[in-house]
Amino acid sequence: MKKKSWIWVLVFAVIVLAGVAATVGIARGGGVVAVITVDGQVVERIDLTKVRESRDIVIETAYGSNTVHVEPGAISVTEADCPDHICVLMGRLTTDGGMPIICMPHRLMIEIEDDGLDG
Amino acid sequence: MGKTRKLAAMALLTAIALTIFVIENQIPAPVPIPGVKLGLANIVTLVTMALFSRRDAGVVLLVRILMGAMFAGSPSTLLFSAAGGALAYAMMCLTIGLFPEKQLWVVSALAGLAHNAGQLLACVLVVKTPGVLAYAPILAASGVITGVFTGLAAMYLLRALRKTRI
Repeated sequence: MKKKSWIWVLVFAVIVLAGVAATVGIARGGGVVAVITVDGQVVERIDLTKVRESRDIVIETAYGSNTVHVEPGAISVTEADCPDHICVLMGRLTTDGGMPIICMPHRLMIEIEDDGLDG
Repeated sequence: MGKTRKLAAMALLTAIALTIFVIENQIPAPVPIPGVKLGLANIVTLVTMALFSRRDAGVVLLVRILMGAMFAGSPSTLLFSAAGGALAYAMMCLTIGLFPEKQLWVVSALAGLAHNAGQLLACVLVVKTPGVLAYAPILAASGVITGVFTGLAAMYLLRALRKTRI
């Protein structure tokens, strides 16, 4: 039985390491265009390289409200009236990459895409 | 074990699971990743399954999820804990017979993995954007880690409970 335990330790260690490595890889993939979607519908596409001045966009939907802060080369959620505030804690998504920002209660998501073209 | 004793034990287990669930919900997320949490209430599901049966564990889990949503949450909390809980429960049922009690942590890790898979699928359905899948690798890693942790906790709890002969 001891031998079997070691196999599982190994399997789980591989899953954890691969998971972390893949996440680092995903977070490094940068882009130019920030895409904000609510409920799967694109609400706004912003070319972050063309942002000259910081501004706030308030996204108000039936699910709730999020304040999205756009600055040159970066985007983040600064305020939300959801219960968990995970989207605010997720910090900034920049042209160098980062994990997509998700506000699940409000069905809102912000991703970075490669170029300004659709698709 | 007599019927009354078992009823009392089940009620107690459900109450404990619910308490853990509600308290855990009050703790701010340790990392800003949606869906990552310890899932301590699963200790109770695992212990119930080991002490009684798969069916009894299912009952405790179902009552905990429904009442948990009433006490602590929003409809979205219910959806996520139900999707995660159902898959984790299915995984536990499938694997608990395959491992001795000494390896209950393996069952728990697999259940943690299934739990996060369920949550992620629910999330894809809710947000309706495949980009959410970027979180799949980190959720797999965290499901395994928290699963091992809750599994070990369940093993120690079982060891202590067996001594008291409830």
